[in-house]
Amino acid sequence: MKKIEAVIQPFKLDDVREALKGIGIDGMTIYDVRGHGRQKGHKEVYRGQEYEVDLLPKVKIEAIVPGDRVQEIVSALVESARTGQIGDGKVFISDVVQAVRIRNNERDDEAL
Amino acid sequence: MSSAQANHLRQLERLSAGFFADRDGLRAVAQRTAAVDEVVRALYAEVFGGEDGGIAAVAVGGYGRRELFPHSDVDLLLLFRRSRDAHQHKDRIATLLARLWDSKLRVSHSVRDPGECTRLAPDNTELHISLLDTRFVAGDAELVDQLRTTTLPKFYLREQRHLLRSLTEAAHRRHQSHGRTLYHLEPDIKEGPGGLRDYQLACWVAQLENALPGRLPASEEYLPRQRDWDIAEAKRFLFALRCYLHYYHRRDKNQITFEMQDRIAEEGAGKVYPAPADPARLMRAFFRNARAIHRLALRLIDESSTPTNALLTILRGRKSRLSNRDFTVVQGRVYFRSALALDASPELALLIFVFQARHGLPLAAQAELRVREHLPSLRAHFTASRSPWRQLREILLLPHTYQALESMRETGVLYVLFPEFELVDCLVIRDFHHRYTVDEHTLVTIRVLKELPAATEPLDRRFANLLGEVQRPELLYLALLLHDLGKGVEQRLHDEAGAELARDAMRRIGLPDGLEADMVLALVRDHLAMSQTMTKRDIGDAVVLESFKAQVLTLERLKLLTLLTYADTVGVNPSARTAWRKELLWRLYLGVYMRFQRDHEDERIRADAEADCLRLASSEAERQRMRGFLRGFPERYPHTNESDQVYRHFVMAEGLQPGAAAVSVARAEAHYEIVVVAADRPGLFASLCAGMASFGLNIQQAEAFSNTDGLALDSFRATSRVGGDFDDGQLKRLRKRLRRAAEGSLDPEELVRKQHPAARPRHAMRPPEVSFDNATSENATIFYVGAADRHGLLYDLATVFSRFHSDIDVVLSETQGLRALDVFYLRKNHRKLDEAACHALRAELLKACEPKQTEAAFRS
Repeated sequence: MKKIEAVIQPFKLDDVREALKGIGIDGMTIYDVRGHGRQKGHKEVYRGQEYEVDLLPKVKIEAIVPGDRVQEIVSALVESARTGQIGDGKVFISDVVQAVRIRNNERDDEAL
Repeated sequence: MSSAQANHLRQLERLSAGFFADRDGLRAVAQRTAAVDEVVRALYAEVFGGEDGGIAAVAVGGYGRRELFPHSDVDLLLLFRRSRDAHQHKDRIATLLARLWDSKLRVSHSVRDPGECTRLAPDNTELHISLLDTRFVAGDAELVDQLRTTTLPKFYLREQRHLLRSLTEAAHRRHQSHGRTLYHLEPDIKEGPGGLRDYQLACWVAQLENALPGRLPASEEYLPRQRDWDIAEAKRFLFALRCYLHYYHRRDKNQITFEMQDRIAEEGAGKVYPAPADPARLMRAFFRNARAIHRLALRLIDESSTPTNALLTILRGRKSRLSNRDFTVVQGRVYFRSALALDASPELALLIFVFQARHGLPLAAQAELRVREHLPSLRAHFTASRSPWRQLREILLLPHTYQALESMRETGVLYVLFPEFELVDCLVIRDFHHRYTVDEHTLVTIRVLKELPAATEPLDRRFANLLGEVQRPELLYLALLLHDLGKGVEQRLHDEAGAELARDAMRRIGLPDGLEADMVLALVRDHLAMSQTMTKRDIGDAVVLESFKAQVLTLERLKLLTLLTYADTVGVNPSARTAWRKELLWRLYLGVYMRFQRDHEDERIRADAEADCLRLASSEAERQRMRGFLRGFPERYPHTNESDQVYRHFVMAEGLQPGAAAVSVARAEAHYEIVVVAADRPGLFASLCAGMASFGLNIQQAEAFSNTDGLALDSFRATSRVGGDFDDGQLKRLRKRLRRAAEGSLDPEELVRKQHPAARPRHAMRPPEVSFDNATSENATIFYVGAADRHGLLYDLATVFSRFHSDIDVVLSETQGLRALDVFYLRKNHRKLDEAACHALRAELLKACEPKQTEAAFRS
């Protein structure tokens, strides 16, 4: 099993969820987050005051998926989240050791 | 197990079935009480049967009132003539209790003698309160009778004040722990505000207030009957709900969760609420009942803490310094000075809320009653000819709007002004985001903005500053008041439906069709636009920003809509994801704001352009002349000025004699709005700056444009250095001075030397910054100057430009706190400046930004 974490633009959330649902991925956790990538630290000037613009609102999606479907899911995610502009975000994949469904104790792949 | 116990268990089953047959809560509790009485008597007889006196079993609290809920504890007092007797019978007491437990009765017991019952224990208010409802069950009847008719009444009379105070404090704590609101999505119908505890509170207060030497009143004997909402009805409703919850959970659980709401709605809540029903409507009924009970409890507490000589105090005229001709303030509550005055002028029933909005003091219960009595005459008073807008506008602008609106809602005045509010009264929106009912949410959004200036978080402070900039905040508050009315209209999108309702509402309260009404309508209609855009669209995309800019039309409307969205967001649920949403909202605001700012001076209004302000022209001929007036001004001009302002400028221009200037000085909330229209000439702007500096005015904002016909329009927002207002004479002199400065008949240098004694030059927090930009504009060089704001700065900068023989085409000047940011569009001989000139100019400007020498040296 793998954990897929993706930080994306907020306005892309609906597209990404549609895409994932389309390939059968329904379970996920959504967070409202703030952050930035390499391109941080540009200044905005508003009424003579400078604002450091470094923490931009983003959305983070987290999903645990079967290991053999990772590439397919990541592709769908990336395609639907991309705009081609700076700020599109990133996807991270890590290993998951175990999963348990609380209601009935199903384990690992059955629990997904 | 004895037969009594077996009997009892069978009875419980029967009772449960009986309740679900018709859901009559009142009968269910009475029946359960009777069943418990039976088993208590039987078991008492078993255990204490042989005794001939000096012992008794007494029902107290809910049991004493004959109101035992299915799974509530049974409050039992074992009364002994002397406490040492109790000690003697220790074992028997234990036996009795054990047998009661075996019968499935959860007994909450106490063992006392009459003396102990009347010993005031500061941390035992519970006991004293439970003894307000005593009832003989078994044993020595005379002993109990003596307690009830002699011992207890004496005690209560003696400790009346103390007990009332304890009760009140406990109630406040309880309300506090429920967020001071009864509008919870999953309310606790026992402990929450407006719940059964509050009902009991009202009864206890009434009992204590009316205690007599030989007699303690029965529980509900002195409970006032509400006229507008039936308290008996409310009691019946809550009792049915609580019985349902107890029987369903088989425990003393009193919270109506979402799941329970669905169930109860589906199966019906007995005679008081027919099934099948929508859970939202069930909850709406709940909130209305709870509100009546809550109001009753608060009113009785209020009356009990007001000393009886309050009325005398009013008559004698001893009052707080806040009292005026119409209203008195006594002990922090507002009263009408005279009932007759209210009969003669029903308008006072609205003016009292203006008073409340100004001072933030609650109305006395008596005053609320008077208002309610006069609702019909108030309604009749506000016919088409006498509109309440003026007073309502005041209420919206004063600091304590929320309290005033809440009182107006409680007393019914709000519904007289806005019958539409009935649609959203206690309306529940069932989703996890909404914490409040729609009507409560509406008032909370207004409170959010009123409390905003005191915010400390940097993110909130940006919005607080924005609030300080808007020119017509009353329109914002009115829009907030009306924005969700559409939710009460079924089967329509609530923002559209809302706009229609808003238009009718505004006409009724006397805000005529026109610019202001249009602004409010646009806000109501578009109140979801910003949140939708910021979460669904790419707010970094120029196209998205441009289209939003076109939708809002002007900078002022953008600010109003932003603040409306802020209030709406925070007012849905104060803790839900708001930092994230606020950040997004700010980014969207900033993006659109920047688009307004970057309107190039190249983008000039063309002869054929359509502008919103043209519709204010009264004839085609006038419209043509307006077009001529607009032609050549930068595109941003109608974006930073509302249509009615543009029209006023046009009228000023029309009335110009050759060589003359037209000056308008208007006093706004905290500053002066100055507009000068004159034939453009080099040095005009500098002269005007000098004129204002010489009058002791600090320029906060300035815009200077000229059109194709060579007409200059310079507008300023300025504050007076010495504070205070100019009187009419001074205003006249100011106008004259500016006119002469514009016409060129005054020497600017001399004017500047005439400076008002100025405050000490402010220290620069950062060194001044000057930069120039020859790329952005096609025809002009743009200079950006950021410097510490000081008196006469703008004049000094303008003179530098004159010295270099460059013409100032457009000036945009703003001050934020201590810093001024000025943007100048320059041309020399109708062309951009060359590099060398720019550098030289920059050096001079930097010098000009430095703080002046001391005033003394300058004045010499």
